[in-house]
Amino acid sequence: MSVGASTVREDRLGALAPRLFLGGGILGVAGLGSSVLIGAVGGAWDRLLFSYLAAFIFVLTVSLGALWFTLVQHMTRAGWSVVLRRLSEAIATNLTWLGVAFAPIAILVMLGKGELLYHWADTSVYDAGSEHFDEVLTKKHVFFTPTFWTIRAVFYFAVWGAATRMLFGQSVAQDASGDVSHTHRMQRYSPLFMVLYALTQTLAVVDWVMSLEPLWFSTMYGVYFFAASLCGFFSVLCVSLWLLQRSGRMQDVVTREHYQDAGKLLFGFGIVFWAYIAFSQYMLIWYANIPEETGWYITRQLGGWRMVSALLLFGHFCVPFVLLISKHTKRAKGVLAVIAGWMLFMHYIDVYWLVMPRIPADLLAQSETYRQLIDSIQESGNDLGFHPHVLDLTCLVGLGGVAIALTARRLGGCALIPIGDPRLSESITFENM
Amino acid sequence: MEATPIDNTFEDPGQRAPLVLNHNDFTSVTTDICRASESPRPPRAWYIAFAISAALASLFFLLIFYLFITGVGIWGNHSPTMWGFPIVNFVFWIGIGHAGTLISAILFLFRQKWRTAINRFAEAMTIFAVVCAGTFPVIHVGRVWVVYWLFPIPNQMELWPQFRSPLLWDVFAVSTYFTVSLLFWYVGMIPDLATFRDRAATKTRAIIYGLLALGWTGSNRHWHRYERAYLLLAALATPLVLSVHSVVSFDFAVAQLPGWHSTIFPPYFVAGAIFGGFAMVVTLAVPSRQLWGLKDFITMRHLENMNKIILLTGSIVGYAYVSEFFIAWYSGATYEGFAFINRAFGQHAWAYWLMLFCNVVAPQLFWFKRFRRSIPVMYFVVMCVNVGMWFERFVIVISLEQDFLPSSWGYFAPTWVDLMMLVGSMGLFLMLFLLFIRYLPVIAMAELKAVMPQADPHTSGEHDTPAGQNREVV
Repeated sequence: MSVGASTVREDRLGALAPRLFLGGGILGVAGLGSSVLIGAVGGAWDRLLFSYLAAFIFVLTVSLGALWFTLVQHMTRAGWSVVLRRLSEAIATNLTWLGVAFAPIAILVMLGKGELLYHWADTSVYDAGSEHFDEVLTKKHVFFTPTFWTIRAVFYFAVWGAATRMLFGQSVAQDASGDVSHTHRMQRYSPLFMVLYALTQTLAVVDWVMSLEPLWFSTMYGVYFFAASLCGFFSVLCVSLWLLQRSGRMQDVVTREHYQDAGKLLFGFGIVFWAYIAFSQYMLIWYANIPEETGWYITRQLGGWRMVSALLLFGHFCVPFVLLISKHTKRAKGVLAVIAGWMLFMHYIDVYWLVMPRIPADLLAQSETYRQLIDSIQESGNDLGFHPHVLDLTCLVGLGGVAIALTARRLGGCALIPIGDPRLSESITFENM
Repeated sequence: MEATPIDNTFEDPGQRAPLVLNHNDFTSVTTDICRASESPRPPRAWYIAFAISAALASLFFLLIFYLFITGVGIWGNHSPTMWGFPIVNFVFWIGIGHAGTLISAILFLFRQKWRTAINRFAEAMTIFAVVCAGTFPVIHVGRVWVVYWLFPIPNQMELWPQFRSPLLWDVFAVSTYFTVSLLFWYVGMIPDLATFRDRAATKTRAIIYGLLALGWTGSNRHWHRYERAYLLLAALATPLVLSVHSVVSFDFAVAQLPGWHSTIFPPYFVAGAIFGGFAMVVTLAVPSRQLWGLKDFITMRHLENMNKIILLTGSIVGYAYVSEFFIAWYSGATYEGFAFINRAFGQHAWAYWLMLFCNVVAPQLFWFKRFRRSIPVMYFVVMCVNVGMWFERFVIVISLEQDFLPSSWGYFAPTWVDLMMLVGSMGLFLMLFLLFIRYLPVIAMAELKAVMPQADPHTSGEHDTPAGQNREVV
């Protein structure tokens, strides 16, 4: 297939950009506005915080997955993926405004009201005279001081912002100049950013999600989130490729071959690697059966969470595994997009399953053993945080809308593929077989 | 030979570097690679290395005999460090046995064409490393004459293995891995064995390689079947690479012991295995390419790529060390904290810091291109990694010497038999490897030819190809 430089050059979001910006913006404002309204009117402030955190983590993981993908393409000097890279660069730039989206949570913690979300932010747990005193938590008090916690968050966003700015900026600059020095620069800095990525991604999910249950711990946690974020990103990639092609864009440059490879990555990382990590973590905790660790899973095996866990097992692994193992489903663009759409939904369920479940502190305090705890939970009829709320939806729509609006705005200002990349022709002509 | 040698160390994003240097064509590739096996005598260095490694291998077998007639008391193992050297050696060798299938299968699936020069090597290394690895648990069972009880064989005493034990999972994981790796290695070698057969100068060679080549004629149909089988085996081998070392990590991680029970163990062990395995490939590739004159095929670029993977996996291992330490503190668990403080500052602190230096600090030299391309620096680093990865397992295994019961605390010290058996297993490994590079095709000739410019229909430049695709391998 021969593709003229001019047809590639004209491939832009064009008129779609302002429409997506407007549509996403309306969704964003409506979603976030109604969330605040429901929170204020319904008095569901703490629920709002959890719903908001789940939606935030969902958008964050997708963007982090995009950043990882972009970095890896430069580290491996990849050729096949060049035509997909602009999308991942643009999705990764969401990490800049997500810092603003995180601000309400950080301000809450800094103002000393963090205990609505994080048990460790409740200062009475460190007070030996208080009934909430928790000796184990005092050991990590230094890690959970609001100032140190916020400084860390600022550091994460600074790193992510610098990385995405560099990658997006260099790549767009190359569109105009076609200068290979941009490629050299991106290849030079990507490994360094990858080291920082591993550090910040791990600590961020420990700080923001694992610490929701501050007594629980798992060394696998960062890796689990890494796998989950790849699932989120590759799903978004497959879906947005399909939508863009249906709108008549990227017609001649993105072929079935690219779909197949994106599908392979979704299959390999988002489904199989995710399941490997999830299984390993579960199996080791189940097998050793140490109460400090099992509580986290017990919560997720009781009440409504039981069905959510089963849904993840089958919906996030078993069924998509069978569906995507064949090259035919990966090469059928529409089929792949539908499966990827399902995986994106599953990724949200995964995040929801990580963020939402909780055991009420009073039940925890009353129980001596886990057996007692389970019994008292069942007696009290507590739902352990499993009560899907309209706020879950409004927050997701709100942050998702903002993400769509700002990604479209970012993409609107440049070509849809990195037209100046020296490996572009290799990518366009690449074949799997 | 033309005057201008082809350079493949350039960094030009618009071009793919050639993987074979110095204007080799298909004939010269065949001749150069077959020479290692066809020359009447190998170089003197080969004889010296073979004599030493065969002597050490003999020592290994003698010591195994001594062990059988005496009992495992001749080792340093004691309560509470029940596992001692045998399990350290087992995990060390099984880790090395990983890179082979990784290079072949995973790099194949990721379309990394530079794998063709080193995959045969690495696969052979896998087989020999797994042989060494498998020996240790077998001789460690004590009553070795009933070792077949490890398998679920129906018997009148109604003895049945404990299926809940990860040690039993090891039996299945390792034997499956060995079988698939052997098949993968052998199937990949068939076209090259046929080349050996066709070029055989003696009757013996013709018969032996003829039998091994399974009647390969190179017909279209043969190639078709071969390619399919190879792809399927690669796809099968990939989850196996991950599963074997994950199961090995379960040996430790399912326990409730501080320092052993950590959820990151499975991917951490897999990364560590790839790390140690690649270091061993470089360790073997550097002298072999010198010895057999293979520098046109195993180029500096190949070595540099491997060094990058060593840097990457070494950093992943470093990530795991740090997260273990962090979570040991974060968990607030007294015993976990003690185990790690003890690791870093206890009686075996020297082993811990040695491990950390070898596995995490030394590979950082590979951030610099100059060091990635320097044979002495590269050799220093991979030797560090070989040592460091052995000590990693040592540090984990002997952390039990200070368990929950202070009255049983002690200092684990190996006996001379422990040490000699480790050295002996290295001898066995090297001996098998030396036999391989003398008698079997050391580089996958057929695959190498497929990534040469001559295999590309556009190579002559007659067609109107997009920029940057003319000469190089795409």
